[in-house]
Amino acid sequence: MRILQVATMAFGLMTGAAHAATELDLFFPVPVQGKLATEMQRLIEEFDKTHPDIHVTAVYTGSYDDTNLKTRAAIQAGKPPGAVIMSANFVREYAINEDAIPLDSIIAKSGETPAQFMEKFWPALRINAIEQGHVYGVPFQNSTPLMYYSVDAFKEVGLDPDHPPATWQEWADALRKLAKHDGDKTTRWGVMFPGTYDYLGWIVSGLAMANGGQYYNTGYGGEVYYNTPTTIGAVKLIDTMIHQWHVMPEGVTDANAVTTAFFQGRTAMMVLSTGSLSFVRENMKTPYKVAFLPRQFVNAAPIGGASLIIPRGNSPERQAAAWTLINWLTSPEIAGGWSRFTGYFAPRIAAYDLPEMKTYIAEHPDAKVALDQLAYARGWFSTYNVVGVRKALEDGVQAVLSGKATPEAAMAKAQAEADALMKPYVEQTALKLPH
Amino acid sequence: MSAASTTLPSVSLAARARWPWAAYGLLTPSAIFLLAFTYWPVLLVVLNSLTVTGFHGVAHWGLDNFGRLFADDHFGAAVRNNIVYAIGTIAPSLVLALGFALGLKDTTRFSSALRTAIALPMLIPLVAAASLFVFIFLPSAGLLDYYLGRFGLSETNWLGDPSLALGSIIAITIWKNTGYYMLFFLAGLAGIPQDLLDAAKIDGARPWQRFRHITLPLLGPTISFVLIVALLNVLTQVDHVIVMTQGGPSDSTSMLLFYIYQQAHQNYDVGLASAATVMSVGVLFALSVLSLRSLERGIHHEV
Repeated sequence: MRILQVATMAFGLMTGAAHAATELDLFFPVPVQGKLATEMQRLIEEFDKTHPDIHVTAVYTGSYDDTNLKTRAAIQAGKPPGAVIMSANFVREYAINEDAIPLDSIIAKSGETPAQFMEKFWPALRINAIEQGHVYGVPFQNSTPLMYYSVDAFKEVGLDPDHPPATWQEWADALRKLAKHDGDKTTRWGVMFPGTYDYLGWIVSGLAMANGGQYYNTGYGGEVYYNTPTTIGAVKLIDTMIHQWHVMPEGVTDANAVTTAFFQGRTAMMVLSTGSLSFVRENMKTPYKVAFLPRQFVNAAPIGGASLIIPRGNSPERQAAAWTLINWLTSPEIAGGWSRFTGYFAPRIAAYDLPEMKTYIAEHPDAKVALDQLAYARGWFSTYNVVGVRKALEDGVQAVLSGKATPEAAMAKAQAEADALMKPYVEQTALKLPH
Repeated sequence: MSAASTTLPSVSLAARARWPWAAYGLLTPSAIFLLAFTYWPVLLVVLNSLTVTGFHGVAHWGLDNFGRLFADDHFGAAVRNNIVYAIGTIAPSLVLALGFALGLKDTTRFSSALRTAIALPMLIPLVAAASLFVFIFLPSAGLLDYYLGRFGLSETNWLGDPSLALGSIIAITIWKNTGYYMLFFLAGLAGIPQDLLDAAKIDGARPWQRFRHITLPLLGPTISFVLIVALLNVLTQVDHVIVMTQGGPSDSTSMLLFYIYQQAHQNYDVGLASAATVMSVGVLFALSVLSLRSLERGIHHEV
């Protein structure tokens, strides 16, 4: 049997060379601002040149949510892409629904245990790549929320730009100094961050974790902690910033509005992804610096970004080709180059040992801060029905941002909605007793 | 000659005998497409709306999806928003379109330039228009706030304030659709016989009376038609919501089609999405029947 397998494999390899290359499509999203799509096309062309037996087509599939939607549709239609750069917090749902294949056996073929393989990546990233002990995702581009601040604004109000606020108390003091009001009008806000779906939940989770919270159950996809003191406290902080201190604009602001305001000096600080570092670096005309997300009790920041997955329904041949592509994309050289181009940090620890990466970190202290924050990074919110469960929180927080609900009432409602959305899964898993 | 007159009936008899098959043959291609892409999906949606599934659970038949639908606050919000959106877009854009059409019905160089200007937004895809308006609506830095700021108005979060967001979406829709409806009204106005208006003028009817008693009744069919188109737009246009607000903040711009999209693609709740589809298609169907009836009445009136 074994001999037969080897023989067919050898035969496959021999004829494979004569046959056409394995066709593979890679779905990739561009979730942050910048020229990422062009760079991805260039990378894939390079891969195709160096791997004549595989032909990859890079398919731009929009935002993280759009990419998720298109991947699900493609799987259901029986034409799954060979590999997908999937938002890291969706990986759990793909595992739960068996829409992605566990990579353990493919990893084993290269002579590594899954644990050995994952050790090559930063510890915080492993949480979202592994589900119930099996590897489902290979981290590709990762981020954490960062606090960006204008050096000029800090100097103007007598704050030391080399000592940015590190605690919520220091943050509150700084914000009230930084915001400038002219009668009813605010000429400069203290801080802004995106209040739109996806971004908002991510930032709130960061604040809840910095408030000592867990926010969600990293080990089980059916529990979130919205109606808890740690999350309510985080939402209260935002509410107070807007409605008492008037250091943040009311209502929902999208990422474009936030960066535009920061570039124009209409906000002194902004909380945005490390993935936007390059975009900010290219567009900010006055000096700026970055700092950790301020803490109430502990330094914490959720991981963001994306992992590579192989959807179910691919032939073993395509799986092998996809694995080659995944290994290439996450190699220290490529991952490092992508990191320098985008501002995302490279998930591979070894990428930072490369000379060009050392030079880059030395030249860009903002990238260094992003890397340092990794030591405090946590897993990214992921549950069954993750988009809906996340949106339940975001609808609640948006109501608070607009002054239409209190943090307590909003979180109680969000918790009830989230629980209802996870109920089908919870009933079939945690609440299911053995026969 | 006689040969021709004798063979003619026999040919037509033979043709009549073959006729149904020929007709069916000719109809088959479009029937296949109709069945595959219209009736089959419709049937699937109805079946899905009656299928109740859980996670890894067994599916069973029932009306649970409809029960869940009516109990869902988000669905209620979507329906309310859709009604506000319908009234807020249809009434102003129809009145504006009719006004523009009346003002610009005589062709001069000036009026055709204006017609082009007013009809221009309909040439811009809704997605592109929405992406542009995101920047126009930017608080403080956007075009709108920039000029309002010159009048001393402070910054307004047009898309980020739940009490303004739907209004902003409505405004774009009016801007986008008015020109399109104006074209229908221009065509309708061109079809009104000039001698009727002239006769009324000779009889001493004032402009308002001529409009009220001649133009408006004769425009009846056009108005009904435009109304149907506008109603369809209200339920089927969702691009700007997706681009500009994603239904937010706090569901304030969520509408029926967006709700269906969310249930189907974000929550993977096919049952709920199908139930909502059945409901909205039902409403759409009822509205179309009503409008078509009044359309027929309008035609009889003209005759």
